[in-house]
Amino acid sequence: MGLRYLQPAPGFKEYLPKDYVDLIDFGPFGKTDQLDATKLGQFKEIVEEHPMCAGCFMAYFVRVFYASLPNPEDTIVLGTAGCARLALSQAAVPFIYGNYGDTNAVASGLTRALKLRFPDKTKDVVAIAGDGGLMDIGFSMTMHSWFRKEKFTTIMVDNEVYGNTGGQESGMSPKGVQLKMAPKGKKFDKIPATELAKQAGCVYVAKLAPTNVKRMAKVIRRAILAAREFGPTFIHAYTSCNIEYSIPTEEVLKDAREREKKDFGFEEYMTDEVRQYLEEIEKKEKANK
Amino acid sequence: MYYVAKVDEEKCSTYNCKQCTLFCPEANTLMFDEEKNTAWVNEPRCKGCALCVYVCSDLLKRDCIQMVMVTAED
Repeated sequence: MGLRYLQPAPGFKEYLPKDYVDLIDFGPFGKTDQLDATKLGQFKEIVEEHPMCAGCFMAYFVRVFYASLPNPEDTIVLGTAGCARLALSQAAVPFIYGNYGDTNAVASGLTRALKLRFPDKTKDVVAIAGDGGLMDIGFSMTMHSWFRKEKFTTIMVDNEVYGNTGGQESGMSPKGVQLKMAPKGKKFDKIPATELAKQAGCVYVAKLAPTNVKRMAKVIRRAILAAREFGPTFIHAYTSCNIEYSIPTEEVLKDAREREKKDFGFEEYMTDEVRQYLEEIEKKEKANK
Repeated sequence: MYYVAKVDEEKCSTYNCKQCTLFCPEANTLMFDEEKNTAWVNEPRCKGCALCVYVCSDLLKRDCIQMVMVTAED
């Protein structure tokens, strides 16, 4: 799949906005081959200029996320208040912005409605929100969507702080960390989000730090493909906040690599049927190449 | 006046790595030119985080990217 049906009718191209025409000439619109995250920088991406901070690794994750979608023309992205929505909303993919923390409730309804409206088409729904949106304020809605085995992907971009309200501690901040609005230091451990997801019935759970593009793309793809057939999937990604954690922008990648060694090592869990399904798909893709 | 990344195109074209373009947090900013075989920066979009400098100089030891001061055009 690709972005096949976004090809404009002949003679109409010259009246389209420049961004759209660029996406046809240098980007993925109207082409049949898949987006390839390992070729970032060699095509025009579907995500555009965004107002996130310089050197923000959450923005980087969003960029890789949009380049790894298996079926971008039939994908709907949901976001909530928080940093990530600033970049998520600047892409040529439908984006829904709900109230704080209700991404997974909205996504549940949307997934069911799309099934009824387009029974013969594959539509992907991805809820992508921060640690506050999914694990603090939206906690009950996130958990219940997993209990109900709703078939969509949830991605948590974990910056371990309430980044754009001045630096309050979140449930995902590490123990003992001092933040601008939490000067006494955090007294509790990080919420074990991936463990909760496994217990709640997610069929595919992954934890990663964004240091390896190929692996990130593979994980995002796998999570979306598994969600189509089997049930809820969850990705926990470390996307540091260089402002609140005072990381010099040029050392953001270094920090991610260090955290990967310390407590954000790559973890992947999937049920046996998902493993079998994904192996079959990946084998077929390899044969086609 | 602000900082942007600048690629030494002559030096960059001697390598074939395409690594810096994979790590820029900005979309459509640090691009790769197939014809010249070099990375290049869309300067008005660069926010000056210097992540690419870390990738090119610290990780790969190739020193092809430098941060330079530019002035906004009137």
